[in-house]
Amino acid sequence: MNTHLDDGSLRAYLDKELGDSAAQEEAARHIAGCPACQERLKEAAARSRLAGQRLAFLAPTPETLSLQAHPAYTQFKHRLNQTKEKPMLQKIFRLRTLFAGLAVALILVIALSIPSGFAWAGQFLGLFRVQQVTVVPIDPTGLMALRGNSAVGQQISQLLAQSINFDQKPGKAQSVSSAAQASQAAGFSVRLPASEQAQPALLMQPGASFSFTVDRARAQALLDEAGRTDLVLPQSLDKETMSVTIPNSVTASYGVCPSLAGDMSSLGSNGRRYADCVVLAEMPSPTVHTPPDVDVQKLAEMGLEFTGMTAAEAQAYTASIDWTSSLVIPLPKNAATYEKVTVDGVTGMLIQRPADDAPEFALVWVKDGIIYTIGGLGSNSPRAIAMANSLQ
Amino acid sequence: MAIKKSSTKPTSLSQAETDAAGGPDRFESTFLEHWPRVYALLRRLVGDDAEAQDLALEAFMRLYQQPPMEDDQLNVGGWLHRVATNLGLNAIRGWKRRQRYELESGKLDLSENHPASPAELYASAEERQRVRTILGQMESRQAQILILRHSGLKYQEIAAALGVSVTSIGTLLGRAEGEFEKRYRAAFDEKG
Repeated sequence: MNTHLDDGSLRAYLDKELGDSAAQEEAARHIAGCPACQERLKEAAARSRLAGQRLAFLAPTPETLSLQAHPAYTQFKHRLNQTKEKPMLQKIFRLRTLFAGLAVALILVIALSIPSGFAWAGQFLGLFRVQQVTVVPIDPTGLMALRGNSAVGQQISQLLAQSINFDQKPGKAQSVSSAAQASQAAGFSVRLPASEQAQPALLMQPGASFSFTVDRARAQALLDEAGRTDLVLPQSLDKETMSVTIPNSVTASYGVCPSLAGDMSSLGSNGRRYADCVVLAEMPSPTVHTPPDVDVQKLAEMGLEFTGMTAAEAQAYTASIDWTSSLVIPLPKNAATYEKVTVDGVTGMLIQRPADDAPEFALVWVKDGIIYTIGGLGSNSPRAIAMANSLQ
Repeated sequence: MAIKKSSTKPTSLSQAETDAAGGPDRFESTFLEHWPRVYALLRRLVGDDAEAQDLALEAFMRLYQQPPMEDDQLNVGGWLHRVATNLGLNAIRGWKRRQRYELESGKLDLSENHPASPAELYASAEERQRVRTILGQMESRQAQILILRHSGLKYQEIAAALGVSVTSIGTLLGRAEGEFEKRYRAAFDEKG
């Protein structure tokens, strides 16, 4: 061999990893007759030795490897079961059917504060084709009282589960390796922030579609049982079917993040570890088709009343919101603050939940028919805004 | 060397994907096969035993819930090593940002090792902390390749873990070692 070995080949030669033994021998012959290569080999060996010595400091003593494979697997199964044993209502919620792209905002901000089913129902009624984001501050006292009434909670859960008919169930999230692959898999153009240096963990969550048929009698019975006989569902609502299509969504996680498919609501003190986690989620607007005679505004009003608003307040709010084009985020009063911010060339909502130990935030906006959410723990909202403004 | 290499062959990814979806017994065998290496790697990297266990369990949870799509290119072992090193490096960076790790780390390490003298004991704890700091500062892939190679993985395994060609490992590894030393000297030699 007449050509010199490049640095990479010399390094591989040191580790006897230069392909087969013939390649190793050929390299050895060349080096033997090449003082320049000998010199560079010596340097590479010194670097490697030094790095090896330093990294060797990390090696644990054998007795500290305390958890053997079998007990570890028992722990793993325990963890897995914890994520499985969730009431149906929470499952529906976490399936990211309606909330696909908003998993972060909802899980971090809302699920912690109010029973998810009610937020879910509010969303369901409000969503047609999203063009903007609106926050409705609600007083969760009424819902909190209901939370103690597990019988009603269970019945609501059952009713929702039985009223939903999946045409396409949400599939398993899949890891993808680049924005290009994510775009291809999800079917829309995925944008990533230029402001972040690190490679994100990318997940594509397949979409879903389902229809929801109203059983008016049962729903009304539940309202009555919850002590809300003042709320009367319109008779015309019975047997009406609404269909919902949830597109594929993509999430990009930066930093150490809890598994999105796993249980985020029980992070507890572990939340601190995820202080640097920021998750960007993108999803084209879901579409909702309702029969023309369903009075969405009236239902939304009732939904707001159900959360504890007075009839007059509910009316004022619903009149101010375009329910066919707004993504409405019900936000418990006192639990979070929100402000309008200009990001990505449009107006978005920055929701912050201040807490001494684990503050949370979610930035939500809609651009060109795509809903974007950046959420995380910690006080990383300036970072989120920088990310939003550098999407490309 | 505390890292004991698994003698079994890596399971093919498509198999693991089926496992994760439908066959708990087969996922179990994947888990049992890869646990010792993944756990040991994280134990080396983050130092704290409880945190290493937690991160290793998290890596397997991700394998179970979000098996990789590119099942013809990567194997489960490679995928797990990549996820585990990422989790570990991010944990180190998290400590650094919170600026509380340094102190704790020193204490932890002092309590769990038994070198000959207090001076040695202090020196090794400090050295360990320095190494982690530098790894946390480096670009992820460079840090990963160093950790994987110096945990005893073959070039082919490293290539599978990082999704790069096996012929590029020598070059990447050499560069990573150079970068590591450069940063190390810049950070600590002057204070000497």
